[in-house]
Formats: sequence, C-alpha cells, structure tokens
Amino acid sequence: MNCETVKENLVLHSYGELADDARFELEQHLERCPDCMRERQALREFQEQAALPALEPSASMLAAARIRLHDALDSAEQSAGWRNLVFDPMAWLRQVRFSPALASAILIIGFTAGVLTSFTAIPRGPRSVSDDSVTSAAVAGIRGISHDPSTNSVQIKYDSVVPQSANGSLDDPRIEQLLVYAARNQQNSGVRVESVDLLSRKCSNPQVRELMMYSLRYDTNPGVRLKALGGLQDFVKSDLRVRDAVVEALLYDSNPGVRTEAIRQLQPVVADGSVRAALQILADKDSNNYIRQESKRMLASVAGIQ
Amino acid sequence: MPAEFVWSLQVGERVPQRKLATVADEETGGPTAGFSQRGAMVSQALSRVDDNVLIREAQRGNRAAFEELVRQYDQAVLRLALRLTASEADAQDIYQEAFLKAYRNLTGFRFECSFYTWLYRIVTNLCLDHMRKRKVRKEDGPVTVASDGSEINVLDQVSDDRAGSNPERDLMRRELGRKIGAALNRLTPRERMVFELKHYQGLKLRTIGEMLHTTEETAKNTLFRATQKLRGSLTEMR
Repeated sequence: MNCETVKENLVLHSYGELADDARFELEQHLERCPDCMRERQALREFQEQAALPALEPSASMLAAARIRLHDALDSAEQSAGWRNLVFDPMAWLRQVRFSPALASAILIIGFTAGVLTSFTAIPRGPRSVSDDSVTSAAVAGIRGISHDPSTNSVQIKYDSVVPQSANGSLDDPRIEQLLVYAARNQQNSGVRVESVDLLSRKCSNPQVRELMMYSLRYDTNPGVRLKALGGLQDFVKSDLRVRDAVVEALLYDSNPGVRTEAIRQLQPVVADGSVRAALQILADKDSNNYIRQESKRMLASVAGIQ
Repeated sequence: MPAEFVWSLQVGERVPQRKLATVADEETGGPTAGFSQRGAMVSQALSRVDDNVLIREAQRGNRAAFEELVRQYDQAVLRLALRLTASEADAQDIYQEAFLKAYRNLTGFRFECSFYTWLYRIVTNLCLDHMRKRKVRKEDGPVTVASDGSEINVLDQVSDDRAGSNPERDLMRRELGRKIGAALNRLTPRERMVFELKHYQGLKLRTIGEMLHTTEETAKNTLFRATQKLRGSLTEMR
C-alpha cells in the first residue's frame, strides 16, 4: 500500500470500515511511515472536533412529538375510508396552520387565512363556476383537478375559507376551543398573547393547563410565556406537573423576566426537594445576579424552618 | 469510534427526585394518557415479543403495537431530524410525517430489509427533501428556526452543565460548534446525510447505502468527499 492509497483509506479505517486485509496492510504501513501517521493524527483531531454541535432532543420535545403523533393517528383512524384517500400529512399540517376551515367554520382571532388564487374557466366549453364565487371566497387549497378531453371541460375541487366570527363568553366551549387552537398554532405572536391571556383565567381546566405548560416550554415569544406562567401560578402547589414546568422554566428559559417570575412563583413550594435542588444549582452557578441572590435567600429561609 | 465523542447536551435535563410526568395525565386520562399508560401496558404485554411479531400485529391494524414500535425508534428519529434540520419545529414535522407515512405504508413492508432500515429510508428522504429546500436560502451558521419563523441561535441557548463554571471553555466550545455547523452547511445534502449517519449515528456504510438507495461504494466516496470538505472548511476558518 502506498501513501496515497493509505491516505484515502484512513477515513474508512477510522470508522472501522476497512476490510481485514486492507486494514492489516494499512496498519503495517503506518508503523513505518511518519508522514501517514501524522495524517492519521490530524484526521483523529478533526473527528474529535466534529463531535460538536451536539443537538439532542429534550425529553419534553419527544413527549410533545409523541402526543402530536397520537392525535394524528386518532384522526387518521376516524376519517372514514382513510386508507383510500390520498392523504398528504405535510400539506394537511400546513393547511391546518394557514387555513383552518376544514370541517366547520373556525375562527382564528383576527386572522385571515388562505392563499388567494383565481382560476379562470377553460376557453371553450361551459362555465360551471362564476367568477364571483371564486374571487370572493379565499381558496385554501386545491383538492384535485380532472380534465375531460372529450368535452374539454376541467373540474377543479378546492377548499375555500370563509371568514367568520364567533361570539361568546369564555365559558363557551367553542370559544375555548378556538383560543386553544390560536395559542398553539397562530404565527402572529400578538394573537397568541391574547389567547393565552384569556385562557390563563381558565386553568382550572386540566387541558387548558396542559396548553399553558406547552406554551411555557415552547412558545418563542417571552410575552406569551410570561402569560402562560401567570396562569399557572395558582396550581404550582397542587399540580406537580405545573411545578416541574415552572422549575424547568426557571432553569432553562432564555428570558430573565420569565425566570424572575418563575422563581417568585416557587416561593410557596420552596420546601419541595426538587425545587430546592434546582435552587441549589442556581445559587451556585447562575449568571444572573438577582436569580442567584434570590435562590440563596429562599434556600436560607427553608433552612430556617428546618 | 468517533461516535463516542458526541457529548449529549440534554436541554431538558432534569434535577433528580421526580421525573417530569410529561405524558401521563393523572386527572382526565385524556388523549395524553394514550402513549404513557398504554405504552407501559403494551410494553409489559409485548416485552418478550419479537420485533417481527410487533410489525405483523401493527400491519393487521393493531394501534398499540404500532405505537410500541414507534417508541422503540422515535427518539433516534427525532434526534436525526433535529441534527439535520437544526430546527425544533421542522424536526417535529419530519417526525410526524415519517411515522404517519410508516403507518400508512406498513402493509407494504415485506420484511425484505430490517424495519429500522425501512423506517430510516423514509426519514432520510424527508430530511434530504427538507435540506434541499433550505439549501436555496441557507447561509453560514447553525441557526435554528423557531416555529414562528424567527431565527434563534440554538448554540447560544444550549448550556452544558458538565462544563462547570469555565466560561472560557464554554465559549470555545460554542465557537467550535458554530464553525462545525457552518462547515456542515457547506456540504451537499447527500454529503451531509452520509456524514451524519456515519459519524454521529455510527451506522455501517453498507446500511447507509441501503437507506439512501445507493451502493456502499458510492456511500464510501461520499463520506470521503464530505470529510475532505469539512476538514478544508475548518482549516479555512482558523
């Protein structure tokens, strides 16, 4: 084996992918050739460096993914004859995000949906769709297009979004449902803040609480996260999952305002071992002065009780 | 093997004592209870059951069997998707689409390869599609796209508890991570995929070839090219 071949095979060798005879030859060569040894060293260093970045999905990310999948499987099962439908999940997901009018009229607060496209009827043949009805409704997605060459007519099936509004009190389950949808899916953070704010008054409902925890963990907007946190504060004592979510926010949230609020909310449950363990870490290592001091103070107050 | 050097930084790493009950819904037993409670029961019932039996059961429409199958592979799938897309939202979407596709096409699985390979074929295809679409807009730097479209630098947010209080080392690691992320982005989607599967996931080149519908030889060459390119990029960036 000459140096050139060796250099080509070093990569494979480093991953244990060389055949036994080639491996033997290569290792023999390395013993005699300082040049190639150096190359192997350089390769090793590179491979060690390439260990970063290390992105690992968190336990909660995995759990959230499982829940979503479970829900999707549920709806997949429920739609009659689903196996025969051409079901494209990606398009369906996108549709759900942008155009919610799938079954009944659903409102996204302050949101107009759909891709506005206009279709003209084919040049010859009867017009079965009037221009008015196409342009006045927002076309959300095209389901199918079929063309009959004998009559040269084209049939287009499409979904349309009809903007609607729903009125009701917060107790109305329909309103609640819409708010939950808005809080999870709405791209406009202002709308999400509003929905979460309204829903935060209904945290006695465990499903709403679930949503608050989801928003606290995943929402990218700190204002939304703060609102979610606000809604959860009454349940920090009674619901362990809420407590865990708040501790998690305290430890990992990127926004200092959220963390400050989180630590404040944990005051009544500072006796909890899990909370104290978190405070211990923060008291030692946190870069934020206020958080560090508060953690120390809270730990000291517990020590006093004991 | 270099795959051992991957430091895993658990963003959700928990303090001890109580594990976050992320799925079990104690109160209502609503939809969230499905995976955890059923998962536990199914695990017990099927713990000694062979993978193939699980697959056949799932093919017959047994939802619990399918969900058990999912649990065996889904963490790896999510990790792969997250690493390749560097976006939590995209990774979740790919996860969802992959398993739904698997569910729909399960009856077409004829045991001619392992379920793992079959599933990964679906996942890698989805990831490749995603990478190709992003390629057009992509610049250097590992940025994560959050679910509302804004960009956050995930490497700034990930903190490594094990690094201790050594901010200089943290900074260096983050810098290095950034550089490598940038270098990875310069690879073609296929090169990136092969490197990911070999270097980070530790798969054999032959398996990688099977998953990507190509030969082992092609996979080898792709790996070699990817390594050269990466080394070149890193030297440039010094």
